[in-house]
Amino acid sequence: MDSVLELRGVSKHYPGFSLADVSFNLPRGYIGGMIGPNGAGKTTIVCLLLGLVRPDAGEVRVCGLDPWRDEVAVKRRVGFVHEVPQLWAHLTVDGVAGIVSRFYPTWDQPLYDTLMREFEVPRRRRVASLSRGMRAKAALALAMAHHAELLVLDEPTAGLDPIFRQRLLDRLAAYVSGGEASVLLSTHITSDLERLADYITFIRDGRIVFSTTRDEIAETWAVVKGAPDLLKDERRAWFAGWEAGAHAFTGLTRDAEGIRRRLGGAPLVVERASLEDIMFLMGRSC
Amino acid sequence: MLRNAIRKDLLLNGKQFWGLIPWFAWAAYALGQERMGAMTAVSGALIGALMTVSICAREDKFHATAVLASLPVMRRTLVQARYLLAFVMGAAALVLVAGMAAVLPWSVQSAAQAFEPKTLLLGAAVAGVSVALLMPVAIRFGVLGVIGFFAVLQVAGIALLVLPGALGMKDVLKGLFRAAERGFVGWHAALGQPGPILETVAIVAIAIWMSFYVSVFLAERQDL
Repeated sequence: MDSVLELRGVSKHYPGFSLADVSFNLPRGYIGGMIGPNGAGKTTIVCLLLGLVRPDAGEVRVCGLDPWRDEVAVKRRVGFVHEVPQLWAHLTVDGVAGIVSRFYPTWDQPLYDTLMREFEVPRRRRVASLSRGMRAKAALALAMAHHAELLVLDEPTAGLDPIFRQRLLDRLAAYVSGGEASVLLSTHITSDLERLADYITFIRDGRIVFSTTRDEIAETWAVVKGAPDLLKDERRAWFAGWEAGAHAFTGLTRDAEGIRRRLGGAPLVVERASLEDIMFLMGRSC
Repeated sequence: MLRNAIRKDLLLNGKQFWGLIPWFAWAAYALGQERMGAMTAVSGALIGALMTVSICAREDKFHATAVLASLPVMRRTLVQARYLLAFVMGAAALVLVAGMAAVLPWSVQSAAQAFEPKTLLLGAAVAGVSVALLMPVAIRFGVLGVIGFFAVLQVAGIALLVLPGALGMKDVLKGLFRAAERGFVGWHAALGQPGPILETVAIVAIAIWMSFYVSVFLAERQDL
């Protein structure tokens, strides 16, 4: 399958943080989600994809191109929304668009106009006077209006109201429906990914914990709940993550049946693990 | 792309031109003073060119470098745009000074004086060398880098004034200053001759060329 983005054995070292041996890909025409706790390395990966940061080792490919060597070609194909949309604050939204649009041969002004209307962005207001959510909407419209093959969105829904968030998710689903465009979403809001993402990559401490399809995660990962005395020290290693409370323990596993067997019929509740369960319980075990 | 990058810098920093009002006020006064000579035109070229350095510093201040770097334009082109803009701004400031000289009734200088070869060379040398020194610092370290650069210059200047006295080498310092003064006056006087003109042009061109490559090197290796 043709990959719109691919990282192979990528490492990047900073004082106090290292991204180590990161490998994953996103097939063209799909929505990929990156989840992980704060400081896991999600934004570093976004920066690597955009060529804002150079990897110490490994290979990064975006639309089959190297973001450093083919800087302009890659950036023409990518639409990017930063975690805190850094638009030029003293300009109006249309003023920013006037600057940005000239750099993209594929800029579609009617599409930009449509997105502005749809997102209800006050085009003639200065960016500085917009709320964070409104800035995010403007940044999204700018990123989408040049028909990017890959949209890279770093925490795009933070600061957005639930109604617009839903509308945006629908927009993104429609964006990839043709099979040519793809979206990479880096977010803490796991419910968005559960609704939208085809592929999920979980990053923790600069390493990939897993990168697979949403369906496979739903089929594989389970949450096991039982009485706290069942979670003896030697049994904790059975779980990818666990939490012990006064009245019950919760464990994350890929082998719920095996655990049920090993506990010999002890009363357990086994549920499908949500992305939030996975993030929370894996976060606790480290 | 280069044109778009220059246009972007002009649109984004249009309001900075208001910051030049005090200089214009001073220039209007200076044009009425005989002793100022080419000073007004040269300072205009310097101020105009250095405005471009402040654009880099501003971008750093507003954390806009990452937005810029995500646009489909090579970092090299963005740096090129800055150097070209410095040249354009310096030249525009010279034209403005000439215009002021022609229009202001109290001006003792003529518009043509701003375009005398000596004035042009002096302006190019002062503005060119200043931009060559400051631009790589502004590109790599932003506003803090520029402030740091001037702080280091200040400290070095103070040390130069204080240390020779403390070490009993005041005469050496005086000698150095006199030599520098003689060198500058000699160079300025010789600027009408082909040899010094060529030397000056070559030195300024080499300084800007080296500065540009250092800036590109720094910009291309900068993690944002």
